[in-house]
Amino acid sequence: MATQTDPESGTGGVMMRDRLVKRIGEIAAGGFLLAIGGLLVWILSTQVNYTLLTSTLIARRFAEAFLLVLRIVVISSLLSVSFGVLVGLGRISTSNVTGRIAKGYVEFFRGTPLLFQLFVIYFGIPRLWATGQFPIQDWAVPAAVIGLTLNHAAYVGEAIRGGISAVPDGQMEAARSLGMSRVMALREVVLPQAWRNALAAIGNDQIILVKDTSLLTVIAVPEIMSVFRNINSNQLDPWTPLVWVCLLYLAITMSMSQLVNGLERRSDWGSDNSMLGRLSRGTSGGDTEGGDR
Amino acid sequence: MADPLVEFDGVEKYFGDVHVLKDVDLAIEERDVVVVIGPSGSGKSTLLRCVNRLEEIRDGDIRLDGRSVLETDVNEIRQQVGMVFQSFNLFPHKSALGNVSLAPQKIRGIPEAVADDRARELLERVGLGDQTDSYPDALSGGQQQRVAIARALAMDPKVMLFDEVTSALDPELVGEVLDVIEDLAADGMTMVLVTHEMGFAREVGDRIVLMADGRIVEVSETEAFFERPETERGRQFLSRLL
Ligand SMILES: Nc1ncnc2c1ncn2[C@@H]1O[C@H](COP(=O)(O)OP(=O)(O)OP(=O)(O)O)[C@@H](O)[C@H]1O
Ligand SMILES: [Mg+2]
Repeated sequence: MATQTDPESGTGGVMMRDRLVKRIGEIAAGGFLLAIGGLLVWILSTQVNYTLLTSTLIARRFAEAFLLVLRIVVISSLLSVSFGVLVGLGRISTSNVTGRIAKGYVEFFRGTPLLFQLFVIYFGIPRLWATGQFPIQDWAVPAAVIGLTLNHAAYVGEAIRGGISAVPDGQMEAARSLGMSRVMALREVVLPQAWRNALAAIGNDQIILVKDTSLLTVIAVPEIMSVFRNINSNQLDPWTPLVWVCLLYLAITMSMSQLVNGLERRSDWGSDNSMLGRLSRGTSGGDTEGGDR
Repeated sequence: MADPLVEFDGVEKYFGDVHVLKDVDLAIEERDVVVVIGPSGSGKSTLLRCVNRLEEIRDGDIRLDGRSVLETDVNEIRQQVGMVFQSFNLFPHKSALGNVSLAPQKIRGIPEAVADDRARELLERVGLGDQTDSYPDALSGGQQQRVAIARALAMDPKVMLFDEVTSALDPELVGEVLDVIEDLAADGMTMVLVTHEMGFAREVGDRIVLMADGRIVEVSETEAFFERPETERGRQFLSRLL
C-alpha cells in the first residue's frame, strides 16, 4: 500500500491505523444493526396483526401463490441454465454465424425490459393466430416460464462465456495435444472449469429470476405480490401481508443460495487462491504479503 | 533402410508475413534423442508445434512413420505424438491420476479401472506413486511437470516433444524432471527436446540441432558439436555460453 512507505509511520503506526479502521467498521455495522433491528421489532410488535397473520384464509392464499411461484422458478431455472449454457457455447463458437446469432440473442434479451418481453409473449404471440384460434387456454403461466427462461438464459450465457474465457488457453491446447477433439476438450476440460468460474454469477442471476416473478402479476399470474395487492386492497393493514411476502421470497432465495454454495463446494477441487477466499480465511495480511502474486 | 520416424521435408512456416521456418529438413530415427538449441525467436517451439499440427505449415511436408501429418486426421496424429509444455497445463479439476487416465478413457474408450491402473504405473515411473490422489494445486512445479510427462505417455506416443519443460521451474526442482527424461531416453523413447540446459543436452542428446533465424544451421553428433562445432554459427553459439 502506498501509505506504508510513508517515513512518518513505521510498522507500528500501520498496525494502529488498521486496528482503528477495523474498530470504526465494527461500530458502524453495529449501529446499523441496532437501528434496523429496533425498527423491525417496533413494526413487528405494533403494526402486525398476528391473528390475521396466522389466519387460514390469508395463509391458504399465500401458500397457493407460493407453490405456483416455486414451480415457475424451478422450471425456469432449469431451462434458463441449460439454455444459457448453449448460448454461452454459441458465443465462443468458431462459426461466425453461430457466434453472431448468440450475440444478437444476448443483446436483445439483456437490452429490453423483461416486462416488455413478457408482454410480447403474453399479449403478442396469441394474436398471431386468428381471433380465438390460439390453442393454449391458460397462456399466462407458460408465457411466464418462456419469458423468464429466454431472459435469464441471456445472463447465464454471458456468465458461461466469461467463465470459459477465464480458462487459460493452455488448457485447450493441452487437451487437444493429447488427441481430443475440440468438442471433447470443451466437455471434459474447459467446461468443468468454466462452470466453476461462472457459478457465482449464475447463482446471482437465478436469485434475480426469483424476484423477477413479482413482475408476473401484470400478465395475470396469481403470484405472491398479486396476493398482497388483493389483500391490501382496503389499504388498512399493509404490514401483516408484507411479512408473508418477505418470508416467502426469502424462503426461495435463501434455498437458492444454499444450493449454489453446495455446488461451489462440490467443484472446489483445489486450494482457493481467490482474493475473497484468502480474505475470508484471514490469511492475506494485505500489508504483510502484498507482493506474493 | 526404414523410413525415419519423424521427417521434415522442406518445411516453410509463416506467421502472417513473418517467415518463421525456412526450408527445414530433418530426419529423426526411432530411439533418437534430438536436442534443439538456438537463440530466442529462432523457431524452436514452432518446429515442435508443427509436428502435431498445433501450427500449420505453408509448404513442404512432415511425415510421421512415413505418413504425411498433413494428410492424416489431426487428432490421430496428436495421439501418436506426446507433448510436454513449459507451463505444465495440468487439468486443475482432476487429480494426478485423473490427469493421466482421462485421455485414454475418453479417446480410446478404455475402461476406467484399466486406465487408472495404467496411470498408477506411469505415475510410479515418474516417481509420483504416492501422489496419485493429489490435485495439481497441491503439487510442486517439478511434480506437476512429471505428471504432465506421465499424462503424455499414457497415450503411448511414438515420439515425445519437450518444449523447455524446466524453464518455469525453481532451480532445485529442475533435476527431478531431467531425471525422468533421462530415464525415458534410456528406455529407448524417441524424443525431441528444446532446452537451454546445455549440460543436460550434452548428457542426454544423441544429436544437436542448432537453429538460427528460422533455419537449421547445424546438425551434429552431441559430443562432436560441443567439442568442435562444424559451423561458424555453432562456434559463436557455444562461445556465448561460456
Ligand atoms: N502465434 C504467433 N504469432 C505470430 N508470431 C509468432 C507466433 N509464435 C511465434 N511467433 C514468432 O515466430 C518466431 C519463432 O518463434 P518461436 O516461439 O518458435 O521461437 P523459439 O525459438 O521457441 O524462441 P524461445 O527460445 O524464446 O522460446 C518468433 O519471431 C516469434 O515472434
Ligand atoms: Mg520457444
